[in-house]
Amino acid sequence: MWHGKKKRTAREAGKMGDALLTIQNLSAWYNNEKRILLDFSFALDEHEVAGLIGLNGAGKTTFLKVLSGLLPTFRSEGIFFCGAPVDFRKQDFKRCRYTVFAEDNSFSYFTFWEYLAYVCAAYGKEVPNVSELIQGFHFEEYTDTLLRELSTGNRKKAFLITAFALKPRLLLLDEPVNGLDFQSTEYLYRQISGYKEHGTVLFSSHILESITLTSDRVFVLENGRIRQTFERGQINAEDIREALHDENDR
Amino acid sequence: MKMTGKAFAKKLFGAKYERLPRTLFMDVIVFWGLYIAGFQVQIASFIRVLMISTFTAGVMWQALSSKDNAVELTAMLMLPYRRREFVFSYVGVLGAYTVLTKTGLLFAVLIAVSAWKPVDLVAMLLCMIHAVLMAAAVYSVRKYWYVGGLWTAVIVSAILCMTIPDTGVLSLDSIIFGNEILVDLLLLVNGLFAVLILWRADGYDFYQKESRKSHGKAYHVVRQGKRATLWRYFFRYLSCHKNYLLNTAVMWCVALVLPCFFREMTGLSVIPVGFAILCFNTPICILLSCDPDLEQAVRFLPGQKRRFCIPYCLFIFLCNIAADVIFLCSWRIQNGSVTVQMTAGAVFFALQSAVLSVLLEWFYPIRDWKIESDLWHHPRKYAVPVVMLLLAGAVLACPVLLYALLVLLVVEIAVLLFILNLQKRSLVLTLK
Repeated sequence: MWHGKKKRTAREAGKMGDALLTIQNLSAWYNNEKRILLDFSFALDEHEVAGLIGLNGAGKTTFLKVLSGLLPTFRSEGIFFCGAPVDFRKQDFKRCRYTVFAEDNSFSYFTFWEYLAYVCAAYGKEVPNVSELIQGFHFEEYTDTLLRELSTGNRKKAFLITAFALKPRLLLLDEPVNGLDFQSTEYLYRQISGYKEHGTVLFSSHILESITLTSDRVFVLENGRIRQTFERGQINAEDIREALHDENDR
Repeated sequence: MKMTGKAFAKKLFGAKYERLPRTLFMDVIVFWGLYIAGFQVQIASFIRVLMISTFTAGVMWQALSSKDNAVELTAMLMLPYRRREFVFSYVGVLGAYTVLTKTGLLFAVLIAVSAWKPVDLVAMLLCMIHAVLMAAAVYSVRKYWYVGGLWTAVIVSAILCMTIPDTGVLSLDSIIFGNEILVDLLLLVNGLFAVLILWRADGYDFYQKESRKSHGKAYHVVRQGKRATLWRYFFRYLSCHKNYLLNTAVMWCVALVLPCFFREMTGLSVIPVGFAILCFNTPICILLSCDPDLEQAVRFLPGQKRRFCIPYCLFIFLCNIAADVIFLCSWRIQNGSVTVQMTAGAVFFALQSAVLSVLLEWFYPIRDWKIESDLWHHPRKYAVPVVMLLLAGAVLACPVLLYALLVLLVVEIAVLLFILNLQKRSLVLTLK
């Protein structure tokens, strides 16, 4: 039972010293009638993989949109990146993070190579060698195809390859497993696990396996709040499933 | 049938149909504004018929081929449905949307600025319904596009022929008074024929084919190297959207023939008005509004104010200046020399329009549109051309103003580039 295990509260997490990103009392909303995120604090460490899990409507995508600077309607008592106050919409923060969205049809008239070159230029980086990533995701055939002509899964692969090639300090992935085939999913798990060498990953998922196989920490989001946090060693499918069932019953 | 209609209606008019009273209120305001202004023009009945029919049929066609509607339609077709009820409720709701939210405004303008009898109102309403039914019927048999094209051509020709008197010569009287009853009868009979076609149609006849995507194998390989230029992106975008391409081609044709119309008014030096009219290539100015995913991407990627907006501005400028060059060449051939002032005017109107369009698109993109047709007829889309027309009017009144406007434009661009550069420099310092 998760009740008996050591859990770090969100408030405690917010006080972490070696945090990459710290957010205090975050609230977010689309309209005044309903708040999607409710006053929660959150911290991500350097070089960790954090999973975000919750039922539909819990606020996972909204949270990632806030971090990506796409939702202006939010309030927080303090946002710190590497200890310094940060604005999600400022260029210096933007250059340190990249987001792969659950559904993305942007730059659909670029090929993968063109998109990669464009994004690398935007981040002020040289286009890296991505042959291993292309092979890993079985994407060789599609690199010169317009993104609009790719299937949902292949388009997702294009954005994931870009994300891992870019190696930002903070990588945000919104339901990265959706639409991927079995082999690519396995390869994605390896990439997420291995990303600790370069930076931090925060990803949301409905697939329990993706969380348990890769995460150092798991945040259970419920009705706009982080209800529970599971640390490495505590993370197992049974406990998380129970936490989600408990959330559903509440 | 009720549920099918309701589902589509809620999508198009809002959950509480809130869009309907808002649109009708706008129509009433436009009507009263024009009516009180006392602006009157004589419009021949057949012009009214053609105007209303073409506009309604065009908007209806746009609604039927809308990608956003296709998503809704896919979900509806997945469920079991009754063929005829489905078709008529679908066509009915799209028709109501077309007539009430789009043709309604044109109708308000026409009855405000021209004299009419009650029978004319009935004729105009008949035109709208006929256009809706005909567009839907032709769309449902679009795989036999040549039949639809021929049918449309025959109807348009018949309407035109009915306005020509027995002598076979188009006279002013016949244009103004025409043979209205015959035209109305033709529309009624043809409308019934369209109903017959719809009677036999199936919901799947309105379903759009899947877009070309690679399923297992790359479909369309583009070997253009590994460099990314937004120019290539914009030109691909333009070439893939046939209606945008057509709009650009139409603007170039307008540029070609405008000097003929302006020939009589050379004394007034109406050239700036021509440049302002050629800024009406509005579809290319709403790139972010019509592609929310692209907008999301340019907002979340770093440095896009510079990397995206400058090429986008130059792209719009290029499209505008191309039309202006055609206009000036045509002017040179038909009316004589092209002066430095004319060239300066072309550059000013093309560039100022591009800068304003990009600024508007970046800060105030059009959101909350239901289907693409809403976007294409949104008043915001015409804000920049209207400003350009006003500036053209000002230049017409005081030609020296053009040089002042050019200086202002240079200052405006310098300030914008300075702000962008400042942001870039602060970023470089932060990274260091």
